[in-house]
Amino acid sequence: MALLSLAHVNKRFGGVSALTDVGFQVEQGEILGLIGPNGAGKTTLLNCISGVFPLDGGSIHFAGQRISGLPPHRIARLGIGRTFQVVKPFLSMTVRENAAVGALFGASNLQPRQAFQAADDVLELVGMAAKSGNPVGSLTIPDRKRLEVARALATKPRLLLLDEVMAGLNAVEVDEALDMVRTVHQSGVTIVLIEHVMKVVVGLCQRVVVLNFGQPLAAGTPEEVLRDERVIEAYLGEKYAARVRRAGG
Amino acid sequence: MPDSQPSGSFSTRPDAGGRRLRRVLLAVFALAVLLVLIAPLSTSDQADALGLPVLVDKSQIRILTTIAMFVVMATAWNLVGGLTGYGAFGNVAFFGLGAYACAVLVDPHKFHLPMLAGIALAPLVPIAFAVFVGLPLLRLRSHYFSIATLGTAVAVGEVVKNVEYLGGANGLFPPIVRRGDLLFLYLMVAAAAIAVGSVYLVLRSRFGYGLIAIRENEDAAAVLGVNTTLYKVAAFALAAGLTGLAGAVFAVWNSFINQELGFSLDFNIQMILMAVVGGAGTLFGPVLGAILLELLLQALAGQGTVAVYAQIGLGLLLAVTVIFVPRGLVDFFGGSSRLSLGYLRRTLRETSV
Repeated sequence: MALLSLAHVNKRFGGVSALTDVGFQVEQGEILGLIGPNGAGKTTLLNCISGVFPLDGGSIHFAGQRISGLPPHRIARLGIGRTFQVVKPFLSMTVRENAAVGALFGASNLQPRQAFQAADDVLELVGMAAKSGNPVGSLTIPDRKRLEVARALATKPRLLLLDEVMAGLNAVEVDEALDMVRTVHQSGVTIVLIEHVMKVVVGLCQRVVVLNFGQPLAAGTPEEVLRDERVIEAYLGEKYAARVRRAGG
Repeated sequence: MPDSQPSGSFSTRPDAGGRRLRRVLLAVFALAVLLVLIAPLSTSDQADALGLPVLVDKSQIRILTTIAMFVVMATAWNLVGGLTGYGAFGNVAFFGLGAYACAVLVDPHKFHLPMLAGIALAPLVPIAFAVFVGLPLLRLRSHYFSIATLGTAVAVGEVVKNVEYLGGANGLFPPIVRRGDLLFLYLMVAAAAIAVGSVYLVLRSRFGYGLIAIRENEDAAAVLGVNTTLYKVAAFALAAGLTGLAGAVFAVWNSFINQELGFSLDFNIQMILMAVVGGAGTLFGPVLGAILLELLLQALAGQGTVAVYAQIGLGLLLAVTVIFVPRGLVDFFGGSSRLSLGYLRRTLRETSV
């Protein structure tokens, strides 16, 4: 049975259909990429899964339990962690305290003493142990993104939703972040990630789902999907797709 | 250097200056407790009987009781305004409801309960009220929340004023307790200890961490698993219960309560000012603010027009504090944030060769 399964998910904002009839499944232990042009509805979909937005139709099941309709904190408690594309750190706290809040709540739900120990473990895992006493205000953007992952990870999720954790990073930082995601995955967490950096998508994901105008456009391995004409068309326009077709044929 | 303590208060990270301040505060606290303990031997009645010199007269006991009352209110406000980051502007409603509830409970023609039972039960009314109005009000954020709470407080006061059972505009008159000065000082100090103790426990619990997470980023707190609605309403209700406790003691102490006293806008602003000047979000900030500001107000009171200027001065003080010392006196003198003296001194030391 799939860990996460979406069926006929619909979301509207006023007259705009942000998501139309989206359905796919995420298997236990895989890394699934969620790609698509800007405005395709990727982040909206993450918001729907984590309970930030209510659905206008369809259903989402996690580990056999229906989670659509539940508030965000209930979904977090069941074992879904997420990061935000625009990082949302607790600014007055240190790095360690940020991670500890994750460990106090979510699926881990620890008492303060144990939560700080769990926070140390998670910071070690994402490579931030040396900065654990720093105030968050002093962190660089890549470190803030790392912290965002650490905090989500501290909730002990079975499924982690990563929203563009590589965006804005330089080549070296992307490599570091790739290692971090691999480490997290090896610790037994199923991952769904939104990404624009194709190196990341190809390097990490076993399977990719492409969204376009709020609808699923294609799904498959990264290689299959990136060769798909409809995907090339959606990203680069019809003319470019035609050129690829001529060159290929 | 990473903090070696497994847990600790989030908002104040004591360095050397912080520890010194903490020692000073503890010494002040110990002195205050000592004063309260020796007071029975030194008020005029008892001193006369025993032939001792008068150390504390009744008006000073009254001032001490008032300070303790504001310690309760500022500390309770801090739970919502300081820790949770919701700028409540109507907490005086809880004070008024607690006071009226207690007055009704001890009234010989109504419930006729013993005084202590009345004081103990009265906070349930503001707690119930806080849960009832908190559910809709706490969906609002920033200044919308502030204005809505202020409006609610004024509205409740007007309703109470027009209820015949509550004495209408005349108010209620709980039975006078003779020679009760010391008793009420003890009761108010006990209420203050309960309030400060509650915040101390909250700061060290999962509940407190959740509240601070809500203040820092409510969306992030929610997806990490903080039940934001429950936490906010619980903080609001706890603040209501503590403020209502102060109101209940006030009603029997003053043996008179009406709308102007119970729902006084002066009290409403003073408790916020005390918490903010002392240091919102810290444990001892509101205590320090309540002591300093109440002493200042008492020094200025009863000097004719000076009292009027004092009100204007309080407004200015709030503005100056929010702009220049937004984290309050506790942080300014003892903290290590960029707004503190300690930081300034360190920076000067490091940048000067």
